[in-house]
Amino acid sequence: MKQFEYYKPLSLGEAWELKKKIPGSLFIAGGTDMLVGIKNNEIHPPALLSLRSIPGLNSIETNEVTRIGALATISDIIRNPELKEDFPVLVEAAKNLGSMQIRNVATIGGNLCNGSPCADMALPLLVMEAKVRLQTANDKRELPIDEFFKGPGKSCLASHEILTDILLDPPSKNTKAVFMKKGRVKMDLAVASVAVRLDMEGSKCLKARIAAGSVAPVPLRLSKVEAVLEGEALTQKHASEAQRLAKDNVIPITDIRSTEEYRRQITGVLVKRAIERALEWSQA
Amino acid sequence: MKTEISFILNGSEVQVSVHSHHRLIDVLRKQLGQTGTKEGCGEGECGACTVIIDGRAVNSCLYPAFEVEGKSVTTIEGLQGPKNELSVIQQSFVEQGAIQCGFCTPGMILSAKALIDSNSDPSEEDIRDALLGNLCRCTGYVQIVEAVKKAAAQLKRKK
Repeated sequence: MKQFEYYKPLSLGEAWELKKKIPGSLFIAGGTDMLVGIKNNEIHPPALLSLRSIPGLNSIETNEVTRIGALATISDIIRNPELKEDFPVLVEAAKNLGSMQIRNVATIGGNLCNGSPCADMALPLLVMEAKVRLQTANDKRELPIDEFFKGPGKSCLASHEILTDILLDPPSKNTKAVFMKKGRVKMDLAVASVAVRLDMEGSKCLKARIAAGSVAPVPLRLSKVEAVLEGEALTQKHASEAQRLAKDNVIPITDIRSTEEYRRQITGVLVKRAIERALEWSQA
Repeated sequence: MKTEISFILNGSEVQVSVHSHHRLIDVLRKQLGQTGTKEGCGEGECGACTVIIDGRAVNSCLYPAFEVEGKSVTTIEGLQGPKNELSVIQQSFVEQGAIQCGFCTPGMILSAKALIDSNSDPSEEDIRDALLGNLCRCTGYVQIVEAVKKAAAQLKRKK
């Protein structure tokens, strides 16, 4: 392993001071992506600033607004009974992330900040219209999560900025949301993944949010697909139309996991199936 | 940069001076001589390096040594009984023929232990999910899953 210094600041203030003092240092959360990057010589930080010892950064609060600390591990999310009740789609995506060993260490904030187009946690947060809270020593901002991702491995985080919280408004009773992922085996990175959220009143769709992963430079909202569902009394015809539109509106690449064409096909299929399941749930 | 860290290893407190870039697996194998923990891929894919930290299975190849301060770590060396007898899970692996070359076995057994400790009656799906991050290139997984099932049942009867 390449050498680096490792600091465990006990407060955000201390973390920012270290960041200022050590040029090129990087904040690290669970480290399951970053340490692999260092091992493979992709990044060469002189120092890592661990956020794991900062009190409160890993807590989950489910009051009026649900606040998930960025350092909450994927396992913390799976084991949280309130999240399971209020945001089952988030828990389902969490269960599909990596292996048990990874889920026990990897954090929701790390998954987002790593900026991967296949980030499993991004999709449920996109369809539930989560906000992210970003902080620097002197400033704090909150923005919708669909403004967070900027490209493969890139987010809108400035170098001194720390993602501290993920915020979710309470879901309405009519909200049904589904996560589906296609990979070679479950722990693999997705070939494609989708999340579909429908707010239904009877058979009428009041609101649709659809997001797809591994099929664009960023986790992608499919607003054209959403538009054909919203305001409509949904039938099988709409699911098929959504399938076609999803296939045409993603911009995947061919890589070792899949071809572009297969990714298009499977995204369409997943969107259709997820819509069908959300409808089944809303009728149940 | 070097720091003295202390943590609980298999029930006993240890103190060791570690480098900032060292991983838990480096400390276990090179400094503490606990070579039961294996390094396969070094990237969190294969699970050969699995240990239990505060009750949860983790990859020790992705765990910075500095982070283990104050925590409780269980390695395969910590599973044997007072007279060096095998634990129930280990014995079950032997009996079910769940071992061939043995390289993945310590990790498999620790993943199984973390599962059974938190869920005394795991379904086959629970077992396969808990062992998904542990690759075996010899035996396939049927005997391994069977061994975990039998061990869980036996431990439950004992309670």
